[in-house]
Formats: sequence, C-alpha cells, structure tokens
Amino acid sequence: MSSKSSLLKVILLGDGGVGKSSLMNRYVTNKFDAHLFHTIGVEFLNKDLEVDGRTVTLQIWDTAGQERFRSLRTPFYRGSDCCLLTFSVDDSQSFHNLVNWKKEFIYYADVKEPESFPFVVLGNKLDVSERQVSSEEAQEWCMESGGYPYFETSAKDATNVAVAFEEAVRRVLSLEDRHEHLIPTDTVNLHRKPRSATQCC
Amino acid sequence: MAATTPPKVVFEHEGVFIHSSPDESEDQDLISGFLRIVEKEGETLVEYKPLEDADPSNMLCACKDSSSVVEWTQSSEENPHRPVDHQLSYETEWDMINAVSFRRKVHANGDGGSNHVNEQNKRAFSFNVCDLRSVTVKCEGWSYLTFRLKDGTALPAIHFHQGGSKAFLDSLRKSVQINESPDDESVLIVSTYSKAFSQSFENLLDDTNYGFVQQKFKKDPYTTTLGGFSKVTNYLFDAFRAPELECQQRPAEEVADVLGELIPGLEINQQEEPGFEVITRLDLGPRPEMQRTGPVTMEEWAKYQDLEGRMTNLPHLKDAIFKGGLCHAVRKEAWKFLLGYFPWSSTHEERKLLQKRKTDEYFRMKLQWKSVSEEQERRNSRLRDYRSLIEKDVNRTDRNNKFYEGLDNPGLILLHDILMTYCMYDFDLGYVQGMSDLLSPILFVMENEVDAFWCFVSFMDEMHENFEEQMQGMKTQLIQLSTLLRLLDLAFWNYLEAQDSGYLYFCFRWLLIRFKRELHFQDVLRLWEVMWTRLPCQNFHLLVCCAILDSEKQKIMDRKYGFNEILKHINELSMKLDIEEILSKSESICMQIKSCKDLPHSVSEILGLNTVSEPSAALETSEYGILESPQTSPRSSHRQDHVVSNGHSHLKETTQNGCKVAFIS
Ligand SMILES: Nc1nc2c(ncn2[C@@H]2O[C@H](COP(=O)(O)OP(=O)(O)OP(=O)(O)O)[C@@H](O)[C@H]2O)c(=O)[nH]1
Ligand SMILES: [Mg+2]
Repeated sequence: MSSKSSLLKVILLGDGGVGKSSLMNRYVTNKFDAHLFHTIGVEFLNKDLEVDGRTVTLQIWDTAGQERFRSLRTPFYRGSDCCLLTFSVDDSQSFHNLVNWKKEFIYYADVKEPESFPFVVLGNKLDVSERQVSSEEAQEWCMESGGYPYFETSAKDATNVAVAFEEAVRRVLSLEDRHEHLIPTDTVNLHRKPRSATQCC
Repeated sequence: MAATTPPKVVFEHEGVFIHSSPDESEDQDLISGFLRIVEKEGETLVEYKPLEDADPSNMLCACKDSSSVVEWTQSSEENPHRPVDHQLSYETEWDMINAVSFRRKVHANGDGGSNHVNEQNKRAFSFNVCDLRSVTVKCEGWSYLTFRLKDGTALPAIHFHQGGSKAFLDSLRKSVQINESPDDESVLIVSTYSKAFSQSFENLLDDTNYGFVQQKFKKDPYTTTLGGFSKVTNYLFDAFRAPELECQQRPAEEVADVLGELIPGLEINQQEEPGFEVITRLDLGPRPEMQRTGPVTMEEWAKYQDLEGRMTNLPHLKDAIFKGGLCHAVRKEAWKFLLGYFPWSSTHEERKLLQKRKTDEYFRMKLQWKSVSEEQERRNSRLRDYRSLIEKDVNRTDRNNKFYEGLDNPGLILLHDILMTYCMYDFDLGYVQGMSDLLSPILFVMENEVDAFWCFVSFMDEMHENFEEQMQGMKTQLIQLSTLLRLLDLAFWNYLEAQDSGYLYFCFRWLLIRFKRELHFQDVLRLWEVMWTRLPCQNFHLLVCCAILDSEKQKIMDRKYGFNEILKHINELSMKLDIEEILSKSESICMQIKSCKDLPHSVSEILGLNTVSEPSAALETSEYGILESPQTSPRSSHRQDHVVSNGHSHLKETTQNGCKVAFIS
C-alpha cells in the first residue's frame, strides 16, 4: 500500500500573472526567474519530498490562466489529489475569481465529494507593498468556503512556498488515511498503468 | 440549488444597436441596448432591450449609472464632416481628426428622454431559442445579426458596433446547434434535434465538433450530393454519440479520453469505416538527404530588384530563401514582402505611398485606444481586460533579449502599443495569450512600430484561427498532423495511441505560436522566413513537427514513456533543437512524401499537392511564382484590404488549411 501514495498530483489554478509558474519553479528549483515567460499549454514538474516520515513524489501541474485556453487545461484537472487556488495579493480581481476557479476545478476534475476535497489557497506576491487584498478578507473567504488552509507566499523571496506545498501534501495524505479502507483504487493513475511504475525525472 | 431555479443570465453584451431606419441614411438613430441569453425554467430565451428599458437588478454587470452610456461613434473617411452631437465641446476635435471616439451620451435627461424611452420600448424583443429558425450574419466593418423565427418573423437587425457577435453566437451554440447553411455561409440555420445532443456534452465538444463537421461539408467535393451529405451526417452522429454515453461511466482520471474528445476528428480517423479513406501502411520509399545553403545576403537580394524596385525572378529568390534563409540585414526589407505587406511587384514609389497610407491608418487606430480616458475604460470591461492581459504578457515576453530587456525598455512600450492597436484593428479577437510571442520577433526585425504592426497583421491573418474562441485552427492542425504522422510512421503513431497520446496535445505550444518557444530567438527568425516562402508545400510547419518527432520517437518508445512523460519530454525539448537539422529533415520528409505514388488523398490535400502531377521541385517552384505574380503569396493575397477583420473574413483561410481526413469516399 505504500506505493499508493508515492505520487501525488497537485494543480495550480488562478488568474494569469498571479505567479503560478513562479511558485512552482521556486518550490522545485528554488529559483525565481524574473524573465519567465507566461505559460502556454500545460506543464508539470516533479519533486520528491518527505512529509512526516513519508516519502512522496509531488507532481505539480501548471497551466495557462487565460479563459481562452480553458478547453486545453481542464482535461488535465482529472486525477488531481489537491488543488492550489492561487491569487495575487496586489490584484483583487484575481482574488474574486477564486470562486470561479474552484467551480471550474470541481466541475472538470469530476470531484465526487467537493466538500471534502483538499483545496489550499495561496495569496502570492506578499513582498509587494501595494496590497489590494487583506489577510483578513482572504482568511474569511477560506473559512467560509470550506475551511481551506491559507498561505501568503512570495515566489520572489521564497516566503512560505515550501510550507504551502507541504501542507497540501499533508492534507492529501490525511484524507487518504481516512479513506484508506473505503477506496481501494488509486487516485492518481492517469494512464492505466500501475502507479509504482518508474517515473521519469 | 435545485427545484425552481431563478432565471440565469448566461450571456450579456451591452453596446448592441438597432438602427431606427433600415436604410443607410446618414441621420438614422442608433438605439443602444443590450442582448442577453437567459435560462429560465429549462428554456433559453434571447432578449434584446434598449438601455433605458433595462432592469439593472437583473444584469450581471450592469452599468450602474445609466445616464452615461459608452457609445462608439465612427466618422467615416468619406464623411469627415458628418454631423455630430455638439453637446460636449471636445467632440468636434475628434471629428476633425477623423477618428473614432468614445463619447458620453446623455439619455435620461430632459423631455426628449422620456419620448425616447417609449420609442425604444417598442424595440425590445425576446424569443425562445426553440422558435428560432436562422440567424443571418452580415458584416459591414462591424457585424450585425438578423434573427428569423420559425413563424417567419424577421426581427430588426442587431448591430454589434462594439464587437461581441462572435461571443454571442458561441454562447447561443451552447443551447442550440447552429450550422452554416450549405448554400449561404452568412446564414446560420438552427437545428431542432441538437439540444438534447449538446446538453450532456457541455460546451467542450458539441459546438466545436459541429463547426468542424460543417467545414468539411462545404469543402469536400465528394459529399456535395445530398446522399453523401446524409451519409456523413449519420456516420458522425454515431461516432459522437458513442463517447457521450461512455462519458458518464468513465473513471474520473482518464485525462486522455477527455482530450481525445476535444479533438474528435482523430477518433473518426481511426475508425476503419467502410466507404471512407483509411490510411494503411504505405511504402514511402527512401528519404532523400537535403542540403541547406547559406542565407541570402544583401548583395544577392539587391540583384533580384529592378531599377524601379520591383522584385524579380521570384521563384528563384524564394527558393534561395527557403534553402538558406536571410542574412539579418536583409530581413527588415524582405520580411515585408514575405509577409505580404509589400506586394512583390510594387515599385519603390508605390511602396512609399503604401507606407504613408498604412502609417495614417495605424495612428488612427492607435489614437482610438490612446484617447480612452480612465473613466471610460472603467466602463469598458473588454478593453480593460485586453489591456491588463497585454500589460502582464509584455512583461513576460522575451525579456532575455536585449531588445526587451530591463525596465522601461522602449521595445516593451512598442510591444504594448502595437498589441493594443491590434485590439482596435480586431476587437472581436482582441488580445489572446501567445500573440505577444508572435509579435516580438517581427518588431525586433522591423524596429519600426508601423511596419511591425502591419507585418504582424499579416502573420495574424494566418494564425487567427489558433486564437479564436473555439481554437478551430489548433484542432484542425492537430488532426492534420496526426494524419501525416500516421503516414510517416504507423508504428510510432500506434505507440502514441496506446499511450493515449494520439491526439498530440503535446504539440499544442509548437502549433499555437509556430515554435516560438521551442527555438532560440535567432532560429525562430530563420524558421519563420523559411516558412513564409510557402515552399516546398502547403503546411510545411506540420512537416517540421514531424521532423522533430521523428528525431525523438526512438527515445520515446525505447524508454516506454507514457502520457505524462511524453508531455514532459516534448516540453523539455525547448531550446535544445537544431534549426538547420530540423529544416533539412522537414524538407527531406516533404520530398519523400511527394515522390510517393499512391499518396492518400487526405495527405495530398493537407500538403496542397493535389494540383501537382509531377513531383518535381522545379515545377513546383515555378508554379508558385506564377500563382503569386503580380500579387503577393496566394495565402495572403486576399488580406491586403481586409482592414476590418472579424472572424468571418477568415473563412477562406480554412479552405486552404482544410483537411479531409475521414470524409473521402
Ligand atoms: N513581486 C513578486 N512578483 C512575482 C511573484 N511571483 C511572480 N511574480 C511576477 O509576476 C509575474 C507573473 O508570474 P507568473 O509566474 O508568470 O504567473 P502565472 O500565474 O504563471 O501566469 P500565467 O502563466 O499567465 O497563467 C511575473 O512577472 C513574475 O516575475 C512574487 O512572489 N513577488
Ligand atoms: Mg504560468
């Protein structure tokens, strides 16, 4: 059974420009590239980590935020173990759109029990001084929407990035533990292949 | 949530107009209103209401202050002194510089206002989509739609002076199936059976599929008879229904299946349906080695120009560009011809005049967005959204390149301004991510705002479909690519299929922005100029895809890469590709395919080989030369005058890109 949780799929969703790719890169490569291109298509990176004594491979999926590309990104929602809803604290619009991102995710990921699905909310660009969204406001939304953990991050100076991803993993693992005896099938299998199969990279 | 659901506004567009008098007289009154699609108790209604009639509480994003209506006023070139409302003094200025301006129209004030309301009340209409028979789409610089109901009623035309007709039709497609009439492409016929069919699919599949099918009907010479038509219809309906049923029981994690449905043509292609062409293993014969040469120099280029400045010996010149590209110094001039901004046969004089005209035109459009005040922009959500996207993307486009490096680099400002002006040029499309990637190399080469803009416009004409709402261009290309791959290497194609990767989603970025992110900047320039010669066949960029995949396929199969690994592997090829190697391989593949005797019709169609009887390179080039002289390249010849672009003008484009994978009997 230990191979079961070896690969976790998390997906970063949020408006274009909130810093999804920057967060992923900061977490996986510990770098911040101010010259990064905006994302076209779908990308993912893997990272091995240990959380509470368990080793997992985190597969982080990153997509383009623009509405137009919805039909390309939504198929990749399926099989996600966790969804990181991302906004930028200096862009209130991106915060207000979280509710839409959540809806889109639940719909296309075909989540069976939306109430218990592990969402984690990230308010990025903490380092920017002109805030448009207050911590309280964001926290309140997280509470009301289902008690989601909320992190204020900065991909630029690395604040809270690892912590946020680790929390995502913890959420998934604890949920899996709870459901262990209920759901014998694995949750990440994307391509009809055993999950323990060798992962590239 | 369930039970009696309140009315839901699924589409709303403000700034549509009814012209009070149907004739084209100058003093006709424009009645501004909004168009909505509303879902009410399982029924879908289309409503038009003049603005004063609006019940703001119902509106999703209603303009709170109904006395300030953002209205688009265009003063035509022929009529610089068109009478305008002189309520606000600055309007006269706008009129004098002959520009399009946004002006505030004060409606609700004074006595005239209430009369107005009464008059406009009469204009409001609403109908159930079930009663809709057809929609006629016409274009006069803007689009206007006329609805005809099943009982024969024709409603007043709705003019989309501020864009949005496409979005409206897209939204309408979610409730009803609308297809172009076989005998008049401007008429969209509403199908009766479609509703149930489309509902369970959500918007991913049905409408897009259908659009695709429609295109084929028009283009496929084999299905012009009614018999053929219905045969294909039944066939397709079966093909599409099957996955729909499956859809409900399918395990959630089958990403691949969903993607497969997105690109439905592929599934059809794979079914070996009798009566339709099936591409089986074909012996293609050996692949010839092709040599590349050095780039065309300034001196060489000059030799092709006569005294008046006309470019001569085009077949030879294009062949040289195809074979070796251009030296950087030549690009600034040569790209204007390659992209169709300058006609090859034009003289220095003519080009000077053209540039002057185009400069005026550019700045007229630039002024349009430049003169929108902050306050106005607050009321124009589409413009605001475009601007915000552009600002975000300009900051993330080629920032490693000297030309766009650092803060407040003039290159960035130009990139921004040209993209904003393009929004004015084609407001329906506006800005879509990826467009900044297409503009950046062009601006880099042109080093001139106006020239870069018009060259970009030409390039966008070719790429437009990729960025449209339904991304039809992307779907078509993926299907075409699959057809080619299948011909070239069935084993690899089968492997991809077995890994649920047969629909080639991993080529998305390649195709959307023509390898812009895959190659080093200088290599992008080379690839693009080679492609723009339109040699040695149509859709050469698809053979470039084949060439790259050909180099990777062994690795992919040996290492037994699955769905995710293939995506990752292909994504990571970025910046590791050798352009000259790829180009010579692509050309080799082209030659190999051309020399094949029994080429499937679908393949020759994609590569545009059907008109060539003898696969000889020489013949091919001269043919291109004849075709293009004295015009520009055949693909761009119709675009020169298409100043106002609106989606409909791109119908012709698809004819050439059209593919008929599964529909040839
Ligand atoms: N100051 C600051 N800037 C950031 C931070 N994270 C990202 N950025 C910048 O914000 C911009 C957008 O970041 P991306 O990572 O490209 O955003 P994205 O969400 O991936 O956007 P799309 O790919 O368009 O969906 C870039 O210019 C980044 O340099 C941050 O924590 N602080
Ligand atoms: Mg990104």
